[in-house]
Amino acid sequence: MSYPINIRDLPVGARVMLATGAEVEIVSNPEDGVWLFGRYLSSADDPAMVGQEDMIFAQDVVAVRS
Amino acid sequence: MNGTRGYHPGLVDLASGQISREIFVNDEIYAQEQERVFARSWLFIGHESQIPKPGDFFVSRMGEESVILCRDRASRVHVFLNSCRHRGMKVCRYDDGNTAVFTCPYHGWSYGTDGALVGVPFFREAYHSELDKSKWHLVEVAQLCCYKETVWANWDASAPPFLEYLGAFRRFLDLILDGWDGREGQAELIGGVQKWVIPCNWKFPAENFSGDTYHNISHRSVDLVGAGPSGRSRRDYNELNVARKLHVALPDRGHQTITYALPKYHQPQAAYQNSPEVADYFRHCEEERRRRPGAESRLMGAPGEIFPNVALLPRQPRTLAVWHPKSAHETEVWRFFFVDRDAPQQVKNFLRDYYIRYSGPAGMTEQDDMENWNYAHAASRGTIARRYPYTYEMGMGHAVENWEWDGLKMPGRVIDLSKAQASEEPMRNLYRRWAEFMEAGSWNKLMPWRRMAAAEAQAAK
Repeated sequence: MSYPINIRDLPVGARVMLATGAEVEIVSNPEDGVWLFGRYLSSADDPAMVGQEDMIFAQDVVAVRS
Repeated sequence: MNGTRGYHPGLVDLASGQISREIFVNDEIYAQEQERVFARSWLFIGHESQIPKPGDFFVSRMGEESVILCRDRASRVHVFLNSCRHRGMKVCRYDDGNTAVFTCPYHGWSYGTDGALVGVPFFREAYHSELDKSKWHLVEVAQLCCYKETVWANWDASAPPFLEYLGAFRRFLDLILDGWDGREGQAELIGGVQKWVIPCNWKFPAENFSGDTYHNISHRSVDLVGAGPSGRSRRDYNELNVARKLHVALPDRGHQTITYALPKYHQPQAAYQNSPEVADYFRHCEEERRRRPGAESRLMGAPGEIFPNVALLPRQPRTLAVWHPKSAHETEVWRFFFVDRDAPQQVKNFLRDYYIRYSGPAGMTEQDDMENWNYAHAASRGTIARRYPYTYEMGMGHAVENWEWDGLKMPGRVIDLSKAQASEEPMRNLYRRWAEFMEAGSWNKLMPWRRMAAAEAQAAK
């Protein structure tokens, strides 16, 4: 099990990887520690999501890319 | 019920002017009150100046329940129940702030500032994208009204609109919300909201602010100290030398107040003598006010109550208070203070100091009141005490309708206190309306003015 990531610290523009393998760029962070607003850069299991903005749940974030 | 024995016959007996202590201390009556009174009445939520920008929120209360007053991204004002639709956790645990979303800390459901459910953890995986998010938005009040920047809300869609609910009492609320010079809607909230809990039923303060002039003796020490803005008494009420002091009660609405009717050609009286700058400001405002058309310049505000739990004090200090019920035996008081938006900062500072000295948990006058309410409640809870009703007989049968003085007309039932000093007409009015709410199954029975208007229209045909 990986260490949990404190998403409250993530700045706008940071890229994160989700449990699905998708990569998302943060477009805003409400800093509630539960949600991020992000835009999908890649999404192998659901290509239609690429370019879409969606809310990202903290537990779905498994890695910070940059 | 009309002036006889109402709400579980005998508890509110206005024919004899007696009211049972049970309505103050009985837990079952209190529980019923939440449904019958607070879930159907217009309640004060806050002031728009508390949420000037999109995303701003202020957590308020309606009865026992926490609600969120917020401005969404499109600048629309909303009032939501502060409870997640999934398992009920509060979605906002701050007093105020700015946010993009309200996120429940329990399972992570998240709502936009328009109340829409926007975030559900594992929506695709656990819910298989099958949950209809549109059905699970935050619970929003049935009706909302922004009146001169004050925000009022009602859970009951069948209740009349706020201004109809207020009726002719609007002119007394305006005495707080309009500028001291008579311009409309110039009030500004000053400082934070004072909040504190007192060990008594909410109806003790509601009754007191309905117009209890009989208890002035309990503020004798404040009068002697000279806490007022001119260093004497509690307030500058020099107009009393020429004014008629009145109790005004609206029987069909349940609102009531003390007010002072001034002569047609009265001269502004000296006030705020401890500060020449503040005295000059109010002298200027009084002169401006008298230049404006209408009879309102002849009204001077005094304590009053909008049914069920909002207290007015239009003048010295200028404040609204809300008596939030917490239990039959506890009330959370929230007090909002106002000044003229355009007043010089020196005037605002002077008034803030005076307001704090007068009202609130540290205010000299309100401390007197709380001591009375708290001990009266405690001494009314016992088995023996409950057997004995309170008397509200003072001034029974002495109220008049269509009161008029030199062109100044008053709505409702009026008792001239200039000689009488005190009456309990406002309290009887409060409890008459309270009993009507406790008995009525629907708003149809609570709007006699609509029935009368319909009957008159029918008769005209």
